[in-house]
Parts: sequence; structure tokens; C-alpha cells
Amino acid sequence: MNENEPRTLNCGKTIEELSAYLAADRTPYDPSIEACPECLNALQGLTRVSQLFHDLITQDVTDLPAPRENWFEDIMTNIHREVRSGRSLPLPHPDKRVDLSLTEGAVLALIRSAGDIVPGLVIGTCHLKGNVEEPGAPVDVSVTASIVWNQPIPDATRTLRTHIYEALATHTALNVTSVNITIKDLHRALSDENKEN
Amino acid sequence: MNASQQHPERDRLEGVADAILVERAVDGDTAAFETLIRRHGPLMRAYTARIVGSMADADDVVQDAFHTAWRRLPELRDPAAVRPWLMRIASRLALTYLRRKPADVALPALEVALPADGQPENVAVRNAQLKALSVALDTLSEDQRRCWLLREVAELSYDDIAQEMEVPTATVRGKLARARASIYAQMEGWR
Repeated sequence: MNENEPRTLNCGKTIEELSAYLAADRTPYDPSIEACPECLNALQGLTRVSQLFHDLITQDVTDLPAPRENWFEDIMTNIHREVRSGRSLPLPHPDKRVDLSLTEGAVLALIRSAGDIVPGLVIGTCHLKGNVEEPGAPVDVSVTASIVWNQPIPDATRTLRTHIYEALATHTALNVTSVNITIKDLHRALSDENKEN
Repeated sequence: MNASQQHPERDRLEGVADAILVERAVDGDTAAFETLIRRHGPLMRAYTARIVGSMADADDVVQDAFHTAWRRLPELRDPAAVRPWLMRIASRLALTYLRRKPADVALPALEVALPADGQPENVAVRNAQLKALSVALDTLSEDQRRCWLLREVAELSYDDIAQEMEVPTATVRGKLARARASIYAQMEGWR
């Protein structure tokens, strides 16, 4: 196992020591390394190898063959089988013998689609706070969202709030007492990137 | 190709940060998860192929990884850090896959594909360097190579690598140091 023996430079430092020093971002500053031409040379070489390795993986990604047929679809099929339904929200019906309900997952999807109507805005997470399983109980809706650069935030959130109220009033029996919106992130529109290219 | 006409939903999510996509996916939005697969799938496939030694096996492992990720997404504490989290799931499944493989079957060396375009001389030198590095990686012991990949690509900490490989942290430190020294020595002519 000769090649696995620690390699010692003429100055006495080993490649292992230098690699550990590099991994620690060259801190704490070690003058015995930083003033030694041989060590500096080896540090440069180690950095180069690390960059080269990064290039190798980048090239792997670029030259990656397409996955086999249906690779992607198989993942999506599996995922669709495990839908997150959440709690069960009762829907009133004039006939007492009819038991109607809506899954929480469906309501969250409804809120996300309400967000999709607002240009440049994408909803992240939605929470229904309150006892949604109890008819008429007050429910607070809170959502996070990301918005496209340069889009006026107050206009977008006002429109979003209106859309969410309307969608929930039309499709659910929830007693929505508030809709809280937190803009968490800004993103660039895809069309902006295309324009630059 | 005008993708926006075919996939309005996908395009809408394309420029959105990982954290938002993760939040949507946790709430059950499969389209958001699809965007995460398209964004991070290629690196995961390339990385896993380097660990398991074959593209076909890597594709199986990465499929499993995404399936696992979908189920466990609600446990992810920092949605912005979804990429290292995915890489970690892929690492774990790749190592499990290798453990199940008969020990005496040697892993085939993965060929580096060489692109034919660009400045001929620079490309030739760079390709030769990449080829040399690929060869150097293949001469490492399996354990050293896995430690190197977990550290350099998946960017796991020494403790995390130790946990994934079921060995003490000191052992990981030793294997990585030897892997680095060995690659450094083999790359001497190319630096």
C-alpha cells in the first residue's frame, strides 16, 4: 500500500496536513505553511485538483445520457399514489343523510390555484389555522409567496387576498376570518431570462 | 420549441426558489416536486453513477431517492437546503445498494464522455486532465472513493459521512486524507 503512505514534503509537512488546512479555509493562519514555498505550491495543486473534480462532475452532468424511457413518469406515478389529503372539512348539505366533505389537501390546492391567477405571484405554503373540522368555526388562512421582481407587492397581495376569499367562499363552507400573506422571496420571470439571452 | 405553450404550470415554477417549491410540495403540489426533480435530478444522477458505477443502476437509485424524498419532505427543516438533503438521500440509497451487491463483483470504471467541440488544444488538455482524474478516482479503494464523493460532491460533514458509512469519524478523516494524497500524487503531472 505504498501509494497510501503519507507523502511528506521536504519541509516536513504532509499532504494530509495541508489538505486539512485547506479544508479549514486556511484558518487559523499558519505562518509555517504560508511562508513555505513548497507548501504554497502543494496548496495550489490541491486546490487545482478540487476544481478539476468539480469540472469532472459538471461534465458528467452535461454529457449525461437521457434516463431510460418512463424514468420520469414512474417517479410521478408513484408520487401521485401518495397524495397528502390532510384533515377532512365538512360541507353542509340540506339532506341530513348526506355526508359531504372536502379534504384539506384539496382546499390547499384551491388556494394555490387562486394564487396562480395573480400575475407574477407564486404561493409557497398554506396553513388553515382553526378547527376546520367543526362547521362555522373561525379559520385563519396564512400563505407564503414569492413574487417576480419589480411587481408592486401591495397590489399583488390585495388581489391575492380577494381571490382567496372568493375561492373559499365559492367552494367551501369555511368561516374565513383572516387571510395573512407573507412575501418570502423574489424571483425572476422566465421570460426576463429569455430576453437577456 | 415553445415550452410555455405546452407546460404553463412548469414554466410558472421554473424561476421560483427551492424553498417555495418545497413548501408547495409539502402541501401536496406534485408539479412543484416535478420542477425540483428537473432542477436537481441531473446532478443526482451523475453523482450516483460515480458511486454505484453504472448509469442504469444509478437511475434506479435516484428514482428511489425521489420517491423517498416525496414521503419525507415534511421532515425537511430548512426548505432552502433541499439540494444537499436530496444528495444525502441519494448517497444513503446508493450505499445501501452497494452493500446488497455481492462483494466480489468488481465495479466497472465509469468512462468519461469527451465532448468533440470547443478549442481543440485547450479541450484536449482539459479532457486529458479530466480523464486522468477519473482514472485516479478509480484507483482509490471503494471506501476512499465513497468518502471523497460524499465530501466533495454531496458536501457532507465528516460526522455525516461517518454516520452514512457506519464507521467512526476518525476513520473517515483517515480515508479522506489518504484519498486526497493519492489523487494529488497521481495528478502531479497534470497540475
